[in-house]
Amino acid sequence: MERKHLKNGFTLRISGAPDETLASLPPPRQVAAVAARTRFLKPRLAVKVGDAVKTGTLLFADKRRPELRFLSPGAGRVSAVNFGPRRSLQEVVIDLEEPEEAEAFPRLDEAGLAAVDPEELRRRIVEGGLWSLIRELPFREAAALDRRPPQVVVFLDNLEPFHPSPRVYLQGRVERFRFGLRVLEKLSGRPPIVTACTGGAETVAELKPLITDLLQGRYPAHDPGVLLYRSRHRPEQRQAWIVEGQDVLLLAELLQEGRYPIRRIVTLGGPGVASPGHLEVRLGAPLADLVGGRAAVGERLRFVAGGVLTGARAESASFLALHEKALTLIPEGDRPGGLLEWMLPGRQKPSYSRAFLSSWMPSSVPMDCNRHGGIRACIQCAFCMRVCPVDILPQLTYKAVLAGETEEALAHGLLDCVECGLCSLVCPSKIELLETLQRAKAAVREEMR
Amino acid sequence: MNPVRRFFDSHRHHFEPGGRFARFGFLYENLESVFFAPAAVTATAPQVRDSLDVKRFMFLVIVALLPHYAFGIFNVGYQAHRAAGLPPEFFSVIGVGLKAVVPMVVVTYAVGYFWEALFATVRKHEISEGLFVSCALFPLTLPPTQPLWQVALGISFGIVVGKEIFGGTGRNFLNPALTGRAFLYFAYPAQTSGDAVWTLLLPGRSAPVDAFTAATPLSIAAVAEGGPIPQAWAEAGYDLWTLFIGLYPDAIGASSTLLCLAGAIFLIAVGVADFRIILGDTLGILVTAGAIRLLAGPGAAPYLLLDPWLHLMVGGAAFGIAYMTTDPVSAPALSRARWVYGFFIGALTVLIRVFNPAFPEGIGIAILFMNCFAPLLDELEVRARLKKRVSHVR
Repeated sequence: MERKHLKNGFTLRISGAPDETLASLPPPRQVAAVAARTRFLKPRLAVKVGDAVKTGTLLFADKRRPELRFLSPGAGRVSAVNFGPRRSLQEVVIDLEEPEEAEAFPRLDEAGLAAVDPEELRRRIVEGGLWSLIRELPFREAAALDRRPPQVVVFLDNLEPFHPSPRVYLQGRVERFRFGLRVLEKLSGRPPIVTACTGGAETVAELKPLITDLLQGRYPAHDPGVLLYRSRHRPEQRQAWIVEGQDVLLLAELLQEGRYPIRRIVTLGGPGVASPGHLEVRLGAPLADLVGGRAAVGERLRFVAGGVLTGARAESASFLALHEKALTLIPEGDRPGGLLEWMLPGRQKPSYSRAFLSSWMPSSVPMDCNRHGGIRACIQCAFCMRVCPVDILPQLTYKAVLAGETEEALAHGLLDCVECGLCSLVCPSKIELLETLQRAKAAVREEMR
Repeated sequence: MNPVRRFFDSHRHHFEPGGRFARFGFLYENLESVFFAPAAVTATAPQVRDSLDVKRFMFLVIVALLPHYAFGIFNVGYQAHRAAGLPPEFFSVIGVGLKAVVPMVVVTYAVGYFWEALFATVRKHEISEGLFVSCALFPLTLPPTQPLWQVALGISFGIVVGKEIFGGTGRNFLNPALTGRAFLYFAYPAQTSGDAVWTLLLPGRSAPVDAFTAATPLSIAAVAEGGPIPQAWAEAGYDLWTLFIGLYPDAIGASSTLLCLAGAIFLIAVGVADFRIILGDTLGILVTAGAIRLLAGPGAAPYLLLDPWLHLMVGGAAFGIAYMTTDPVSAPALSRARWVYGFFIGALTVLIRVFNPAFPEGIGIAILFMNCFAPLLDELEVRARLKKRVSHVR
């Protein structure tokens, strides 16, 4: 196990951290396969309302990349196909019907894995609808089928507030996890790097031998992009596959059991949750079911699928997407501040800077979705450049992007951006740095196709 | 409900589209946002944002400047009493100081706000809080005798030419307060230089009493011959402690090294000022003055032989270091560039002070000069960084 210290970054001390208790939910009446909140996806429907489906039946697939198949997380009848703005597919909703039948996929045991051809293994994951869980840097989209990666990085811990702890989701599943690692080794031809963060997965004795890199640092030190930026100095070495620890379990379950996995562990956290914790849920469960009665009362809450920094805003009527592992509730905060509140010392005002009293105190504080200030021109405070984990100069890179100087932005390291969101978070001028850089990256991706 | 809240709520409709003053909607918003933080929420990731905004950022500078105003008001009155040969009775001193300083501040803010509001109306953007810092800094750098119409002209030049024509706060490359100050220096030298302007004379007086020295420590140093400068200062009644506290005739609030030190520590502590610039400035002064002293040899003019650290004790050096060089907009953004920027400001300050008899104080010009080089310093550091960076393009 190699210990690596990763510079910069910032750990947000926001209240509502989930504890390590694991609760189960009553079975939902509906589940859905979600297309919203998955970047670069252009779904083509394979079912219509009223169709009977089994667990593992194809619901939709990507138009341009048919290997990205999204399967039904339950058996029953398609009750709704929901569209969003400009007729973009949001989700395909299934009314569950007992008994739930499942599509059968071939099973694979240890001996079978040793013998199987990597091509065949890849085909089984694609058929099983989980290929999109293997993502590829720098664009973090589903990995290309026809390219062997220079490296596979599996990361166990996620430092973004708030994500499931490997101490919970790997509890009693370490053997399955090992199997998953061997699957990834077979696919890529080399043993995966397995990373953990200090104080996280490394504290579990039986996980310790699996960890190859122990990362020390502030958020987003867990992100493989940061590790690769610091340790791999040839650009092609950085175009690795990245897989989250819990997704390794899903891949292993699909192959070992021969059925589409339907359960995962998510966290319910954030300042808008009364009793934050871990939940064992059905894939595609309604977000409202996840919350149950645990939402804080008296506040209008924003549902965020994922963590507070990179998560996407979700409708409360929406469902859990395949790749999502957290639901965070944050008070909307859409009301004006108190009289001259901005002049006060600010014990309860979280900030990267030291401009409030809270910065000098160790406790976590609640946050809301208020922007906390008007939009101004950049004043070169240089905060964004100090937090950036991959040494981009966001305040200059975004100007290059807005000036149309894509080449310059690329030279600044645009493609190393791990999209952690810290630059936008800390900006006192409230400039949408992350959004600008993400848009520029997407444009570069289009050009490279 | 809060009466201030009620006031804003009941007048909002005039400023909304279709209202009588719809044109000035942003002025209303701006005024409201001074009292109540806006209700706007995030639209994209990250869903939460830092509590710090530009308003708070700039407000902390003003907080740091308040002691300078208190001190400045006292010192203006105190020097006026000494010049009149009167005992410095506290309330009378404060009264005189207030009468001199308050009108200058009021004129500065009124004129500065007018220009900012004019440009904001035409450009349809919000008023940026940088203005309030520029307007707080500007009067502190002026002699207490400056005529008010010149104050108005100076801040107009500073805000319009130093900032607005480039697009407002964040897009200016010169420090607006210093730009205004420099304009007054070159346009009205009679009212901004010489020994007479730094002391306010009480009504009915045309000259200070004979026992009073009107010369500032800097002008004493510039003309000193023969004995060492600290001795010349002591003869004029400026012992080291007086210089450190700043109780001598000078710009309204810029003379106190003690307060500048406290302000610099405060601004570094709250993360508004960058210690790199401040230490770079200080280092630049010490190294340059030290080098001059080494090279000068024993027979040289006393100013060349001045102990380097004494440069920090007199004139506006400490004030410039703490508040003017640390303006992030006109300084470079990158860390090493900030060290270099600071160092050269310090070095130039000493060179101008020691070798240019026309400028007793060099820091203002040094800062404006280095403001012009800030983008170049940034560019050099960016290039050095990009050379080391592995391009990530296939």
